[in-house]
Amino acid sequence: MHAVFAIARTTIGEAIRRRVLLVILLIALLLLVVAPGMNVLTARQSQTVLTSLILGVLQLSSAVIAIVLTVYMLPNEVERRTIYTILSKPVLRWQFLLGKYLGAVGALGLMMAMMTGTMILVFALVQRGASTDLLTGLARVPIMFFVQMCLLAAVAVFFSTFVQPVVNFFLSGGVYLVGTVFGSLFSTISENQNLPMVAKIGSNLIMWLVPNFAQYNVQNSVINQGSVIVSEQVYYAQMVIYGIVYISILLLAGMLIFDRREV
Amino acid sequence: MRHKGRLKIGPTVGAMFGLLAAGATMQSLSLPFWREHYRPPSADLSNIAADQLLFAVAGFREMIAGILWVRADAYFNEGNYDAILPMIRVVTYLDPKQIDVYATGMWHIAYNFTDSESRADRRNIPIAVAFGKEGAKNNPHTYELFYETGWLWYHRIQDDFPNAVYWFDEAAKREDMLPARKNLLAHARLRNNDADGALKTFYQFYRDAETLYEKDKQRGSFANLQTIEGNLDNLLVRMSQRGFFAQKNGTYESGDYDTKPPYDVKFSVRVSVIEPRVLEVDGTWNVYPVGTRVKCILRDADYPGGREAGLEWDSGDANDFSAPRDRTYMQDELFVRNLQFRRTINMSRDPTIYPFRGDKYYLDFFYTPRIAPEHLKDKYGWNGEGFTDSNFLRTDVREGQRVVFYRMELTRDQLLRRREFAMEGGIIPTFKTDNYVPPTSRSGSSSVLTPAGEPEQTPAPGQ
Repeated sequence: MHAVFAIARTTIGEAIRRRVLLVILLIALLLLVVAPGMNVLTARQSQTVLTSLILGVLQLSSAVIAIVLTVYMLPNEVERRTIYTILSKPVLRWQFLLGKYLGAVGALGLMMAMMTGTMILVFALVQRGASTDLLTGLARVPIMFFVQMCLLAAVAVFFSTFVQPVVNFFLSGGVYLVGTVFGSLFSTISENQNLPMVAKIGSNLIMWLVPNFAQYNVQNSVINQGSVIVSEQVYYAQMVIYGIVYISILLLAGMLIFDRREV
Repeated sequence: MRHKGRLKIGPTVGAMFGLLAAGATMQSLSLPFWREHYRPPSADLSNIAADQLLFAVAGFREMIAGILWVRADAYFNEGNYDAILPMIRVVTYLDPKQIDVYATGMWHIAYNFTDSESRADRRNIPIAVAFGKEGAKNNPHTYELFYETGWLWYHRIQDDFPNAVYWFDEAAKREDMLPARKNLLAHARLRNNDADGALKTFYQFYRDAETLYEKDKQRGSFANLQTIEGNLDNLLVRMSQRGFFAQKNGTYESGDYDTKPPYDVKFSVRVSVIEPRVLEVDGTWNVYPVGTRVKCILRDADYPGGREAGLEWDSGDANDFSAPRDRTYMQDELFVRNLQFRRTINMSRDPTIYPFRGDKYYLDFFYTPRIAPEHLKDKYGWNGEGFTDSNFLRTDVREGQRVVFYRMELTRDQLLRRREFAMEGGIIPTFKTDNYVPPTSRSGSSSVLTPAGEPEQTPAPGQ
C-alpha cells in the first residue's frame, strides 16, 4: 500500500497546483460569500433560500471539481508519458489507478472542506440567530455530498481508463444525471401498471447498474427545518457503505480494463 | 506491453457481481427511507425553463426553488402579481417543504387579485383552498398550513364553517401551534353553531395556558391566559343572555332573553343596470346599529360548482392554478347605514374578471347571522334564533342556518345593455323585491319599478 499512498500524495499535490481547479474553487468560494446578498425575504424564508443556495453551490461546484479533477488524470499521465516512469517501478497498474483515485478524492475532500468551512462561517455571520441544529445540519450534509462526489469521481476514473477526457466529461455527467433522476423516477416506473414487463425489467437493471446519486441529496431536511427524521445516522451509515460498494465495483472494473490496455 | 500482477478476470468479475448484489440490496433497504424523508414528491415540471429543469432534475431542486422565490419576491415589490403565480407553483413543485411559499401563495391567490374597485376575484379561492390542502399534506409536521387553510375558510370564504373547524382543529393538534392562534378554533366552533364545543375548547385552552404560565411566568404566557379568561367570561355571559342554557334545560320559552322575540330585518332591494356592466343596488334593512353587510353575488347561472349565494369552494385544482376565466363571479357587500344600503357596482373596467360570456346570470342576496358582529348576534343568537325576515327568511339554503336569501335572474343583454336594453333609446333593466320601498331621499325618482325578473319597458332618461 506504500506505493498507493505515495501516488495519492503526489496526485493531491498535482491537483492543488492545477489552475482550472483553483479557478472553479475560487468561483465557488466567491458565490458562497456573496450568497447572503439574497437576504431580501422574510427572516425564515431568507434562511431557507440562503441555505438552499449555499448548499446548491457547494454541491454543484464539488460535482464539477470531481469530474474535472478525474477525467484528465490518466490521459494526462499517458500524454506526458510520465506513466512509463511510474509503471517501470515496482508499481502494479491497479495500485497506480487506486493511488490516483485516492489522491483525487483527497484533493476533492480538501477543497470541499474549505468550501464547507467558508459556508458555515458565512452563514454563522449572516444568520446570527441560526440554531445549533441548523449549523450542525450544514456541516452534516456536505459529508453526504462528499460520498456522492467520491462516487462520481469513481465513475469518471472508470471511464478515463478507456475514453478521451471530453467524452468522459459528458459520460460521467450523464451517469450522474441518470443516477439522480432515476432514483426519483424508479418508484413511479415500477408502480406503473400499464408499463410492459420488458420496460420494468430494464428499469430494474438500470437501478442495479447505475449508482443512485439521488439518495445523497439529504439537504431538504436542513433547508426546511422542522421535520423530524428518526435514525438518520443509520441511513447516513448505510449510504456511506453503499457508496463504498459502488466505488469498489467501478474501481475494480476500471482496474480490469486498465490492466489490459496498451499504453 | 504485458505486465505482471494483473488482476484475474474471473475472481474480479465475481467480486464485482457480489458487490453489485450487495449494493442493490442496500439500495432496496435505504430507498424507501430516502423517499419518505428527503425526496420531493413527483411533480409536473413542464412550466419550468429548460435550464432550470436541467438543474432541478440533477438534484438541485431546492437551490432552483430558492432562486425562483427570490425572483418572485422581486415581482411582489414591482406589483407584477400575475408573474408570481407560476413561480409559486414551480417553487412548491421543486421544494414542497417551503411552508412560507405555500402560505404566501395562498394569501396571494385568495386576497391580492382584485378589480379596480378592490373586490377580490373570488374565482381563485377554490385554487387557494386546494393549494392550502396540498401544502398541509406535504408538511404535516407543522401547524402552519392547516392554520392558513382554516383561516381561508374562516375569514375569506366565511361559509361552510365545518371546514374552518376541521382545519383549525388539525392545526391545534400540532405541538408547534402558537397558543394565541389556537383561540380561533373556539371562534370557528361558534360560527359553526357549536357553543358547547367552543366552551369546552376554551376551557381546554385555559387549562393549557395555566400549565404554560406555571412553567414559564413570562408576559406572553400571562397575556395568553388573560385573553382566554376574557374570552371564556364573554362566552359564558353571552350563552346566558342569549338563552343558550335555557334552551338546553327547556326553560327558554318562559324566560326573557335577548334573542326573543325574533327580530324582523325587513330586507328589500332594487337593482338597476344603469350602464353596461354597472349595477346600482339599493334597499332596506330594518336594523339601526351599524355592522350589517349583506352579501351580493352575481355569477353565471351555470358557473361550475355554483350554488345559492356562493360556490363549492372546496372544488379547486391546484395543479395549474386555472380559474374558469370565461366565467363571471362577482361578490360584494352592501353596508347598511340608517336602515338602508346603496351601492354602485362597476364591473366595466375589468373585463377579464367579469367577461360576461354566458347568457344567463344569477344575482343573489344573502345574509347569515353566523358572521354578524357580536353586538348584532346578541340579538340574533349564534344560529339566527332571534332573527327573521317576513319575506326572505330561508332555512334550506344553508343546512341548519336561518338566513336571508333572495335571487334575481338577469340576462347577458340586460347586463351589457344590448338590443332592447341598449343605452341609446333602450329600456333600463330594473328589478326589485315586491316589498321594495324607495328611500325617502330618492322620492320622485323617474325609475319605474317592476317585479323581479321582469324589466320595465321604459325609455332611458332623456329619451
